[in-house]
Amino acid sequence: MKKKRVISLLAVLAMTIGMLTGCGSSAQTQDGAKPEESGGEAQDSPADASAEAEGNGGEAVTIWYYWETEGHQVALDQVIQEYNASQDTYEVTAKYVPFADFKKQLSIGASADELPDIAILDSPDHASYVEMGIFEDLTGKFDVSSYYEGTVNSCTVDGKLYGIPFGANCLALYYNEDLLTAAGCKVPETWDELMDAAKALTTDSVTGLALCSVQNEEGTFNFVPWLWSTGATSYDINNENGIRALTFIQNLINEGVMSKECINWTQGDVMNQFISGNVAMMENGPWQIPTMQAEAPDLNWKVTLIPKDSQYASVLGGENYAVINGGNVDGALDFLTYATSEEKVKFLMDKFGYISADKMIAENQFEADSPYTPFVEELNYAMPRGPLAEWPGVSDAISLAFNQVITGTATPEDAAAGAQATIDGIVK
Amino acid sequence: MGKIKKIFRYDNVGILFVLPAFVYMLIFVGYPIIRNVILSFQDVTAANLVRGDKTFILFDNYRELFADSVFVTSLFNTLRYTVLCLVFQFVIGFLLALFFNQRFSFARPVRGILLVPWMIPVTVTALMFRLLFATDIGVINYILRSLHLIGENIEWLTTPGTAMFALICANVWIGIPFNMILISTGLTTIPKELYESASIDGANKIETFFHITLPLLKPTIESVLILGFIYTFKVYDLVYVMTSGGPVNSTHMLSTYSYKLSFEMFKYSKGSAVANVLLVILLIVGVFYIKATTKGEEEE
Repeated sequence: MKKKRVISLLAVLAMTIGMLTGCGSSAQTQDGAKPEESGGEAQDSPADASAEAEGNGGEAVTIWYYWETEGHQVALDQVIQEYNASQDTYEVTAKYVPFADFKKQLSIGASADELPDIAILDSPDHASYVEMGIFEDLTGKFDVSSYYEGTVNSCTVDGKLYGIPFGANCLALYYNEDLLTAAGCKVPETWDELMDAAKALTTDSVTGLALCSVQNEEGTFNFVPWLWSTGATSYDINNENGIRALTFIQNLINEGVMSKECINWTQGDVMNQFISGNVAMMENGPWQIPTMQAEAPDLNWKVTLIPKDSQYASVLGGENYAVINGGNVDGALDFLTYATSEEKVKFLMDKFGYISADKMIAENQFEADSPYTPFVEELNYAMPRGPLAEWPGVSDAISLAFNQVITGTATPEDAAAGAQATIDGIVK
Repeated sequence: MGKIKKIFRYDNVGILFVLPAFVYMLIFVGYPIIRNVILSFQDVTAANLVRGDKTFILFDNYRELFADSVFVTSLFNTLRYTVLCLVFQFVIGFLLALFFNQRFSFARPVRGILLVPWMIPVTVTALMFRLLFATDIGVINYILRSLHLIGENIEWLTTPGTAMFALICANVWIGIPFNMILISTGLTTIPKELYESASIDGANKIETFFHITLPLLKPTIESVLILGFIYTFKVYDLVYVMTSGGPVNSTHMLSTYSYKLSFEMFKYSKGSAVANVLLVILLIVGVFYIKATTKGEEEE
């Protein structure tokens, strides 16, 4: 009888675990399937094929990246292909990891010792991985003196350089010029003007403004320009300034000029609403421009600085290259020296719709009437998130506070106090 | 010689047959669980995941979790979600099973079609329901408005209470076929003679249902409910796609919160502690399942 009970217990254990892992493995097949759908081109990368054909046969150098846009993947692969053809000591290959899994894969890879040699990662996460100790110290190995200060800060910890900015982007305000003219509004420069314009633009079928408000890093990215514009910082929210920022967003919702649905819209969703004409103004980044030009060539839109409260502010986005320690460091450095040369940077930035992190390149990158030009100007006001190893916790508190006021589950005062309590618990 | 014979006694040979599976389970199931329990007693974050200095803090993670309002909400959410889903799935599934147990034309093909929700990948279902429940463009608001049941659009997925309701609706839709098919199968095992003799004795439909159908279906019902509980309790993909735990953490489940802690906020130990709470609850339910099924076998 006792034996039977033990066997039963084991069976229970097996069954429950089987079900739990069943869930895990199905998620994995989804992950596995995704690159074939969206990143298939990059996976059977031309770089691989050509390298084999030429018999490069050098030491392997692997790169992980998360761009799902086909144009991005093709451009990166072209640079890799040219690099592999230019020498035969190293052979570079790139692997697509979906954004949602990128952090997970790097964490798992770190504990299982299965990491790439180069990771191209989201800049606010950089400090966390430096803390983890998986990145090589690159101080003195690259000249980043002409790069935007914010981009260099995002990969600098304790005065040491742990990465190289890949490219920069920031958020700015897009507006539908036809709708704006029809409503008789001028381009808003302050919050008051923005509110008035949004009200005038809102009709039965159009809402005045949209910004991605999902409760994660993507949402935080879109919230902090409003927070910073008041003079509040990411770590000091429970004051007049922080509350004013939360109140402004809440008013946008209460006045009906911004849809509550924004809490379920990614930046891509916001862009789709904008090009369908459902939204008259949006906060978004320059990487949407190639898609917008392709999908809505007739839409008459322009870009301007995000309207200000007391000062102009935007948030710095973009990716950094990082070299993993313990991997093929020499090969990684050699490739990065090649990829960060002016010619290659220009090629990549143009194909990506990014702005170069190198100020010298960025300032001559676009024509005066290019839609990218306002972003170059906005970049002067853009600040990085963090860099802080515990940034994900701070980010969660900020996006939660904004989501609370948007859904009306807390007053701006309570939301600010709640966020401050969480942040104080993290940043002592 | 005698010893070898003893080893190969009938019972022991049986154990040898089980051994490979047992070793397999020990490595691929036992090890991860033990590793996860150890992880939950440590303080592992981004800072010490790779480096060696992992300090043991024993139950501190669990203590902090039960003081964490989001964890308590997600525990409560998971229970509420599971119980409500089970009740509706089971009742509707049972009624449909009884209905399709009648002999009428197209009963079989229609029952087959009703299986479709169970076969669609959950992520697809989740996206579909997200669109159905959308505030401005959603079909559900459109229908309710057309019927003049509501004056203004309901913000289903952006209001805490209704977002949970939408999740439950989606999962009930998925789960009904599962309940229906298992109960249908159970119904076919009940001998027809019992109903014939009952009707000769003058029992009406309701009496035969409560005195023949239900008692004979008891083992099936127990299995359906317990398997349903386990399946529903560990929900992840549906919630992740439909609401990602939002708005304002109101629809986080144990599984989604565990993922968020581990892989978005780098709090690996806390995330594994949440996963262990989930595991313990499921183990308790699993024990009931084994008891229920083995009891049935012994009776036979």
